[in-house]
Amino acid sequence: MSILIKRPAPHGGRLEERVVHDPELGKKLAQRCSASYDIKATLDENGQPVRNVYREIMSICYGFFSPVEGSMKKAEVDRILKERRLLNEWVFPYPLVFDITEEELKDLGVTVGDSLLLRLKGKPFAILDIDEIWRIDNPEELAHKTFGTPEDNPEVVQEPFNKKMPGWVIYKNLSPVVLAGKYRIINEPKFLPPFDKFWFPPLKSRAEYDRRGWTTVINHQTRNVPHIGHEFLMKDAGYTGDMEPCHGIQVNAIIGVKRPGDYPDEAIIEGHAAVNEGGYIKPERHIVTFTLWDMRYGNPLESILHGIIRQNMGCTHHMFGRDHAAVGEYYDMYATQTLWSKGIPSFGFPASINDVPYGLQIRPQNMKEFWYCPVCNEIAYSECCGHDKEKQKFSGSFVRGMVAEGLFPPKVIFRPEVYKVIVKWWKEFGYPFCNPRYVKEKEERLEVDLPDMDI
Amino acid sequence: MAKSIAVLLDDKRIGAIKGSDLEGKIESMFGGQLSCFILEMDDTKAKEVMDAFDTARVDSRGFITDVPIAFNRVLFEEIAKTKSLGTEAIDGVLGRVAEIKEAAAKEKEFLPHPEL
Repeated sequence: MSILIKRPAPHGGRLEERVVHDPELGKKLAQRCSASYDIKATLDENGQPVRNVYREIMSICYGFFSPVEGSMKKAEVDRILKERRLLNEWVFPYPLVFDITEEELKDLGVTVGDSLLLRLKGKPFAILDIDEIWRIDNPEELAHKTFGTPEDNPEVVQEPFNKKMPGWVIYKNLSPVVLAGKYRIINEPKFLPPFDKFWFPPLKSRAEYDRRGWTTVINHQTRNVPHIGHEFLMKDAGYTGDMEPCHGIQVNAIIGVKRPGDYPDEAIIEGHAAVNEGGYIKPERHIVTFTLWDMRYGNPLESILHGIIRQNMGCTHHMFGRDHAAVGEYYDMYATQTLWSKGIPSFGFPASINDVPYGLQIRPQNMKEFWYCPVCNEIAYSECCGHDKEKQKFSGSFVRGMVAEGLFPPKVIFRPEVYKVIVKWWKEFGYPFCNPRYVKEKEERLEVDLPDMDI
Repeated sequence: MAKSIAVLLDDKRIGAIKGSDLEGKIESMFGGQLSCFILEMDDTKAKEVMDAFDTARVDSRGFITDVPIAFNRVLFEEIAKTKSLGTEAIDGVLGRVAEIKEAAAKEKEFLPHPEL
C-alpha cells in the first residue's frame, strides 16, 4: 500500500466548466434567447443586499460547485433538504436556485424550453436554459429546512434560526418563482483589482499546483483578515500530508456579502497576500485564492460546500477549526468536526462525510485552538500547551475592538504588513469593517466588469 | 458568573493616569506587548451593560466585547475620573448611556482611520 496521497478527482467525477470563451459564439448563443433579465441582489426586509445570484452562477460555471450545473429543480431541492444529496446521488448541502417574482415571470413571458439571457451590470453575462418552473410556497419553511432545527437535528443545532442568521435571511427572502435549468456564461467577466490577481478556478488551480509541483495541498477557509492565530493554524495544520508536510498551503477566501463586523473583502484577500509577501509563509508554499459566494454561515453544512470547492480545486486536505463558518450559537461549536469525524445522522450522514457513498475525498484536518502563552512565550496549540490558566486567546471580537479603537496592534496579534492592509482599505471605505454602506456600494460595484457585447 | 471587560491602554491613556494608584493596576497582555485595565463586574451589572447595548456579547474568555467604541472611551474617562476599576466606574458609564448611544450611531457609518 502506498502511503503517498494523490490529488482527488473532482466531486462528481469531472469538473463542470460552463463558460464560452469565444465572444462570437457567446453572441450567437445570446441572440437565440427569447428574453433577457437584469440580475439584481436579493434584499432583506430592510432593503439591505444579502446575496447576488451572479456569484452562484460564476461558482457553478467555473466548476467550484461541480457537479452542480445550474438552478435546481424542485425534486433536487427536496432531496437536498431531506438527504443533502443531488438527484445524481452526490452529496451537496444547499439549494441553489434562480428566483424571480411572479410579476417578473409575467413580464418575461418565458416558459419551459426557453433560454433566458441574464444581464449583469447592464451587459450580457450568461444564459439559463429553462427546464422547469416551480414555486417556493413558504420561504421561511425553506430557510428552516435548509439549516435544520433543534428538534430535527438535535446532534448539532442548539437554537432555532432567525433573522440574525445571514443564511436563513437569504432563503427567507427568496422570490417565489424558480427558473430551473443549466447556466452557461457567454460573456466572461473581468475581475477588478484587487481580486484579479487571486482568481484560480478549479481548472486553473489544478494547473497551478502542477506548475508548482504540488501533490498535497491543505486549504485554509477564510472570511477574515489573518491574525497571528490564523497564521499559526495554517502553518501547523500544514504539517499534515503524507510522508512529508503538505507541499502547498492554500488560502481560499469567500468573497461576497458578509455580516456587519466582518472585514471588507478587499482587506481579506490582500491581508492574506501580505502574509506571504512578508515571508511569514513563503510564497513558494502558499497561494491566496478566492471563491465567489454569499456566506450562509451554516457551520457543518457550509463545511460540506467548502470541502466540495477545495476538492474541485485539487486540494488533498482541509483544515477545520472551532466554530467553522459560524455565526452566533445556533450550532454546536464543533459541529463541523463532528460531521467530518463521525457524521451527523439527522442530516443524512450516519458516518463521516468521507465514508458515505458519493461523499467527499478531501481529508479533514480538525484543529482545536491557538493562543498566546506567556509562559511558553510563543503562539501555542491548545493540545500542546499546558498553561491553561495563563493562556491569552485570540478572540476575534477582542481583536476587532482593538482595530476599531485605532490602536496599532502588537506584532503578536497582527503582522505589521497585514495591519497596514486593514488601514489601507479603512481609508478607502471610511470604515474598517463591513457596514451597511459598504455592502450596498459593493453590491453596485461587484467584483467584476463585463466586456461590451452588442446583440 | 462574573464577567470582565478589558480597556486597552495606549501611550496617551497611560499618560492620563500617570502618578495615580491606577498605574499599579495596569495589566500586560501578549507578553507585555499590550497594556490594559481589566474590570470585573457581577452578573447584575453585566446584564445592565448587555441590555443597554444590543451589539454587546460575551466572548469565549468571559469578556464583554463588541460594545461601541464610545463605550470604551467613556469607560476609560470614568476610570480616570473615579481613579477606580470598581463599580463606580461602571455606574458612571451606565449614567452616560444616551451619550454613548448617540456617538455609537455615528460610529456605524464612519470611524476615523489611524495615521501610520
